Amino acid sequence: MRAFDSYHPIVIFTYFCSTILFSMFFMHPIFLSISLASSILYLGFLKGFHNMKRTILISIPLFLIIAISNPIFSHRGVTPLFYINYNPITLESVIYGLSMAGMIVTVIFWFSCYNEVMTSDKFISLFGKISPSIALIISMTINTVPRMKRQIELITNSQKTLGMYVHSGSIIKRAKSSIRILSILITWALENAIDTADSMNARGYGLRGRTSHSLFKFKRNDFFLFSFIILLSALCVYGEMANYISFSYYPYISKINLSYFSFILYFSYLLLMTLPLVIEFKETIRWRLSISKI
Amino acid sequence: MQEDPNRKYKLNKKRFFFSVLILTIVIPIILLFGIKLFNDRRYNLISIIIAFLSCIPFFIRFESKRPKAREIMVIVVMASISVTSRIIFAPIPGFKPVTALTAITGIAFGPEAGFLTGAISALVSNMFFGQGPWTPFQMIAWGLLGFIAGVLSKFNLMKNKAFLILYSIFAGIFYSLIMDIWHVLSIDGLFTLEKYKIAIVAAIPFTIIYAVSNIFFLILLNKPIGEKLDRIKIKYGLIE
Repeated sequence: MRAFDSYHPIVIFTYFCSTILFSMFFMHPIFLSISLASSILYLGFLKGFHNMKRTILISIPLFLIIAISNPIFSHRGVTPLFYINYNPITLESVIYGLSMAGMIVTVIFWFSCYNEVMTSDKFISLFGKISPSIALIISMTINTVPRMKRQIELITNSQKTLGMYVHSGSIIKRAKSSIRILSILITWALENAIDTADSMNARGYGLRGRTSHSLFKFKRNDFFLFSFIILLSALCVYGEMANYISFSYYPYISKINLSYFSFILYFSYLLLMTLPLVIEFKETIRWRLSISKI
Repeated sequence: MQEDPNRKYKLNKKRFFFSVLILTIVIPIILLFGIKLFNDRRYNLISIIIAFLSCIPFFIRFESKRPKAREIMVIVVMASISVTSRIIFAPIPGFKPVTALTAITGIAFGPEAGFLTGAISALVSNMFFGQGPWTPFQMIAWGLLGFIAGVLSKFNLMKNKAFLILYSIFAGIFYSLIMDIWHVLSIDGLFTLEKYKIAIVAAIPFTIIYAVSNIFFLILLNKPIGEKLDRIKIKYGLIE
């Protein structure tokens, strides 16, 4: 069990909302690199660094496409490097393309972290309060998909005994048997669904005064972490509004602000982005300490 | 159990008010926010938020109807069939029956069910394939396609085979156009018509695959599945 996962879904969801939104929003190079580095570290922690190689390898072509296409399409900026067909390739647009590519890759990494931590049960328990019917539809759909896959196998096997093969024979015959399987599947699913619905009604679905069970409780720890995330996010937003961390790529690349307050902002952004790792680290140390006390 | 009609009316009114609020106030405010505050440079973020927000009025409307268990289950079945089919057809890029199944649901159970099936299929199938910034775009694209199919069938147009083919081609182009918005935005966060045109041209092979797969699956599946849905509708007295 990972320590950050045990927090209330609201806390986890807020955290990922703020990291993903900020990663897309802050194009400041320091902020971008902080976010990219922490997303890679966190994803490595979640999936194991060995399994992560594939995710990174897949994202390299995407990175290259975006990084290369920006200077080709955009000729803004004041420092031409060279010319292609009388169109200037500018230093600014090259750097902007690199940052943009880094941003997209970062967001994709954060989304993979999100997929690891924010499992569908957490997602549904969160939205069940806001929109119970939609959350119910989502949760039952997730549940039905694997059951359907199993049922497809069953139907395919029983159809085989009747001579309806999917994997061999002429294309027309294969298509015919596939459609027959689909048709049986749909009849089964619909009749089954009506049964489920009747059973739900029999147990009082939709009656007033029914409560719903939730696995997650909003504890004091959750409150502290939640306020901390909000505080750090507010600080970053304030920094942006007050122009401490404004940064522009066009027409020329602006200088990086190195005042005291901007360092506080960089640090708080770093803290926000590595928050789950910090929590895991803290818990591990606590665990080690309590073991050594014994 | 007797429902208090007044309470329901009030609830509907409140929820209707919310959807109007989102459409007429929240979205323009976000647009304005994007233009003024972010110096008109954050189209990607703004458009993801707007794509997601535009799904919400449909959800609110569904929620405010207080759907019965059977209505819920029909959408669950159709959404899970399209998710399963997307998983089965995953090896062939672009060739998916999701649009066709969404349209069939829209035709049989009305525009609202069509929208929900499309949007939920996108959301849930991405739980298997991986969520990303593209999820809201897929939700609104498939949702609207289901909605449009439902509206068209209200005018008895979807029984005509020629019209089904026209719809399939339209659906392929529509889906491609919406997803191209995201592809353009992911390049540099800015949206220009010039780049959009290039993206559309670059995506033509995919658009063709979408359209062909839509024609294939709609022509093939519309009649058998439609009949099954109609049968269920009559047998259990489901309302549209």
